[in-house]
Amino acid sequence: MVQCPSCARLSEPRLVCPQCGGPLPAEIDSFAALGLTRKLVIAPAALERAYHDLSRRIHPDRFASSPPKVRDASLRATALLTRSYRILSDPVSRGNYWLELNGEKLNQNNNRVPPDLAELVFEIQEQLAEFRAARGGDASETGDIADAIAGRRRELAAAIEQAIGDLNRNFERWDARGEHDDLAPLISELKALLSRIAYLRTLIRDVDRELDSVKAA
Amino acid sequence: MAYSTKVLDHYNHPRNVGSFAKDEENIGTGVVGAPECGDVMKLQLKITDQGVIEDARFKTFGCGSAIASSSYVTELVKGKRIDEALAIRNTSIVQELNLPPVKIHCSVLAEDAIKAAISDWKKRKGMAPAEEKKSAEG
Repeated sequence: MVQCPSCARLSEPRLVCPQCGGPLPAEIDSFAALGLTRKLVIAPAALERAYHDLSRRIHPDRFASSPPKVRDASLRATALLTRSYRILSDPVSRGNYWLELNGEKLNQNNNRVPPDLAELVFEIQEQLAEFRAARGGDASETGDIADAIAGRRRELAAAIEQAIGDLNRNFERWDARGEHDDLAPLISELKALLSRIAYLRTLIRDVDRELDSVKAA
Repeated sequence: MAYSTKVLDHYNHPRNVGSFAKDEENIGTGVVGAPECGDVMKLQLKITDQGVIEDARFKTFGCGSAIASSSYVTELVKGKRIDEALAIRNTSIVQELNLPPVKIHCSVLAEDAIKAAISDWKKRKGMAPAEEKKSAEG
């Protein structure tokens, strides 16, 4: 239970006091902060609505002349709400957050790289090394490598999009699981997908750095 | 961040970089990575039928410490029997290279790469990869 700094009444932990509508200094997870059940699928419109509605009700501007305890609750609740919204609005960070809520971490016992992904990493990194070595040399050759790398960038972007699509489809399947189903296989699948996305994102970041450094030169 | 002299030495002059030819026999390959930072490390070991590591190659994409850890490991395992190589702990890599706490995961990756490469070799030789399970849980 949490005590409301405005009306002093107790309520279940949440961001808005159900009795007086004032902000509550509750320590709750991001799903609870937005008043959502702990489901992986979240309708973007519902999330937006909950976020805007709550942020209006607990906004620090509304409590500028309230007692310090209430002002403090409003600031803390707003910070938690904003952070929660940011985490939940992106499926990848939502998936990672869900893992954490279930006592797991992406890097935990998870260092084998699937062969196809490893091959892609090595191919692209070697192309980037080739590109760095060729720069300052023959302009047309450098241009060819740059074109190849730009093509790789499109490939990577498509692969990431596909992986995020897979993630969303899996979210639906996972939400539909039975209450007593074993979580372990679900968690390992989720980790595999999120790891793939993390590796692809690192690659695309490295590609962008190279392409940007050419533009800057 | 300031790298130690040994890290810089391995980083600037990495030992045993590359891959063995695809048709070469007696090779075990281990690919490990850290999803959160995107580092990927490939370690290949050439192992005799008597279980002695003859030669090693690596390819690593990641920070200086990850490259230095894998380069150092290729030197360390050469001439060792596989049971000796499997006994190598990341702490000895940390000590040798003087890795700071934030880079300890690089040494863990190098230790796991040895285990992954040896278990791949065992699988190719039709031996049960007994170490695989232990290291995955550890």
